[in-house]
Amino acid sequence: MAGLTSLGMTLVACSTPAAPQAPAAEQGSESAAPAAEKILLRVQGNATNEQPLADLFMERNGQVEIEYINVTGIDHEEVASKILSMVAAGQTLDIGFAATEATQLYAGQGLAEPLDEYVKRDEAELAEYFADVHPSLIEAMMWEGSLYELSRDFNAANMYYNTELFAEAGYDHPASDWTVEDFLEIARAITKKNASGETEVFGYAWTNRLWGSWMPWIFVNESNLLTEERAPGGEWLWQTFYKDDPAAEGRGGGFRWLAPKANDPANVEALELMQELTREGTAPAIELGGGQTLQGFFTSGKLGMTPAGGFWAGGLHNAGMPKGAFDVQLFPKWKSQRHQFGTGGKFMFTGSEHKDIAWEFQKLEVSKEGMAVNGIFNPVILTTPSRRSMVNAEAFAETGPEHWEVFYSTLDDHPDTAPIPAPPISNAMTNIFTKYTGLAMTFELTAQQALDQMQAELEELYARQGQNMYKLEG
Amino acid sequence: MAHMQNASQISKQPGTGGGPLAWLTANTLTGMRRRKAAMGYLFLLPTVLGILIFTAGPVLVSFGLSFFQWNVFTAPQLVGAENYQRLITDKQVLTSFLNTFRFVAMAVTTQIVLALILALAVTQKMGRFFRYYFRSAFFLPLLMSSAAVSISLGYMFHREFGVVNYYLTLIGLPRVPWLNSSTWALITVMIAYVWHQLGFTFILFIGGLTNISPEILDAADVDGATGLRRIWHIILPMLSPTLLFAIVVSVIGALQVFEQPYIMTRGGPGDASRTAVMVMYEAAFKNLEFGYGSAITVILFIVIMLVTMAQFWLSRRWVFYQ
Repeated sequence: MAGLTSLGMTLVACSTPAAPQAPAAEQGSESAAPAAEKILLRVQGNATNEQPLADLFMERNGQVEIEYINVTGIDHEEVASKILSMVAAGQTLDIGFAATEATQLYAGQGLAEPLDEYVKRDEAELAEYFADVHPSLIEAMMWEGSLYELSRDFNAANMYYNTELFAEAGYDHPASDWTVEDFLEIARAITKKNASGETEVFGYAWTNRLWGSWMPWIFVNESNLLTEERAPGGEWLWQTFYKDDPAAEGRGGGFRWLAPKANDPANVEALELMQELTREGTAPAIELGGGQTLQGFFTSGKLGMTPAGGFWAGGLHNAGMPKGAFDVQLFPKWKSQRHQFGTGGKFMFTGSEHKDIAWEFQKLEVSKEGMAVNGIFNPVILTTPSRRSMVNAEAFAETGPEHWEVFYSTLDDHPDTAPIPAPPISNAMTNIFTKYTGLAMTFELTAQQALDQMQAELEELYARQGQNMYKLEG
Repeated sequence: MAHMQNASQISKQPGTGGGPLAWLTANTLTGMRRRKAAMGYLFLLPTVLGILIFTAGPVLVSFGLSFFQWNVFTAPQLVGAENYQRLITDKQVLTSFLNTFRFVAMAVTTQIVLALILALAVTQKMGRFFRYYFRSAFFLPLLMSSAAVSISLGYMFHREFGVVNYYLTLIGLPRVPWLNSSTWALITVMIAYVWHQLGFTFILFIGGLTNISPEILDAADVDGATGLRRIWHIILPMLSPTLLFAIVVSVIGALQVFEQPYIMTRGGPGDASRTAVMVMYEAAFKNLEFGYGSAITVILFIVIMLVTMAQFWLSRRWVFYQ
């Protein structure tokens, strides 16, 4: 049984992607099937939010029925694990969703279909989309020279703050070029302790995971967890859609994370800073997971600052935090102000039997019309749209923050801003990252010891599983 | 006597003829016995098939897979005993097995002792309302989803705003890092596990205690066996078969603990609360090393089998069957 499954998966993984057919509208293709033969498109997504998009698509493609498969998890790694389990068990999906944490995981395993030929074919139709999306987000969706997803939403780790706590401590909205020293001063000023020395209001808090976490401090300290390299390829895309965009200069075919550098001195310094904040009570003990606890802290006025992206605006609004009670600024400057981000979008499974229809759905989802009806952007914005034109005053009118421009200016003003390091072995890598982060933050290991051990374990992982992640020459 | 007569009559009747099913359809005593046996096997068949397909099958496939390197998406590669060799030197796996043994020792002891105390308390003379109230209250957690229990208790044990630490600080004690320290994480997970599982053992003991003959207890009263002596010398020996079953089931369950540590601590800090099933899950479904995950499963299976066999062997010394 296992062998048969494996053989099947192997055939799927090794099959050459079929060249795309002409769009349904032009030649009828699948959508011209007899009425009796409904085509079922199984899409990973949340029907509660995304059903209007499906309805719009089905309205235009009468032969198609869309079934949403909602896969939930505490973080993107867990969702990816569940999807992989489903695929391993032989359950088919036509379209999946992947954030940066899992983009290369699916591409590297041959589960996701490269979109290059589809994009080239529909170049005219897509020109408007690419013109509206920052090249950083597109590059993050690439692996080994090919594009695997059309970025739908993104979140850079900016700094959210509680405006009331800021005002109480005598601080206004920080300048965009505020520094780590400014941040520390404010965080300590906000922190309140009771008579017995226990903190009751924390200046800063974060969650132990890959995105957010203490990764932003690694980035602004001009470092990374893994060595960065750009894969060759992708010139066709940059030349076609970003020819005159200076932000696209020097971009390639997606990121390669070829080796760990966890114990880089800059990383040790960043982790020591996090330890210092927790040791002195400015930050609470860290937790693993998706940040629900942080949201509780923040909305109840027990937390001053935390790294978060546009997704927090809707989350805080839905948790009852009024507009104006929170605001956002760029992450503070240390050695640089390079931010980290994650971006998400739909990808096409290589095993899908309805690739052309899946492609049409993918295009609709990132179209202005598709994004306008999508429940993740309307009526309350639950994540940052990848389209620059949709990150506007109207989008954040109901929720705030006041300085919503920060979300896109993170990319515009800091074009070196990059995706979180997430190679095809990101799940195993994240486990190691969070494990040693936890040991450092419970002070069972020093920052140096934790990162030395993290480095050793990451090297083991790379030696064991990272050999053929990228198509390296030679 | 009557049935003997009937039987002799049956045996004298001519058979139903030959054919491939003659051995079964023969109108003889032997044929009747065979039919009865066949009927029995027929009733057993769904269960046996279920076990073969859903239990024995996967166990055998896992055992086979443990000699391969397989990530699901490419063809499996035969690597012989490589997975087992790696397993022996894998610190995380060794730690997780040690954690599991520690967890079993703590959880099973706590669960058995607490359930026994509660069962003994509830079987004392009391009003019917209170008896049913306490029985229901102690059993109720078992009906809840372990995920929901883990999330709720996770919040209650939160270092900063958990209700547990809130009351500790009220009485002047410092906040305990229940989920954020290697010392406490496994203990906290154990508390959550026991709170959830206690009802099952409790109900077993209630049943066992109810089955103890009142005459024996009355005789013990007459002989002056009261209090702890009565529990130690009368109740526990009479309850020992139930106790054995409860221990065996609890140990098997605790060796497979997954939900509570996965949800409450994710195995952390570090590997402090990572269990054997967690590393198996992470190896297979997160790291896509299904061969290695299978090897861990095989070792865990052997451990569970050996521990269970040892329990039955040891039970001959202390279990009393009437």
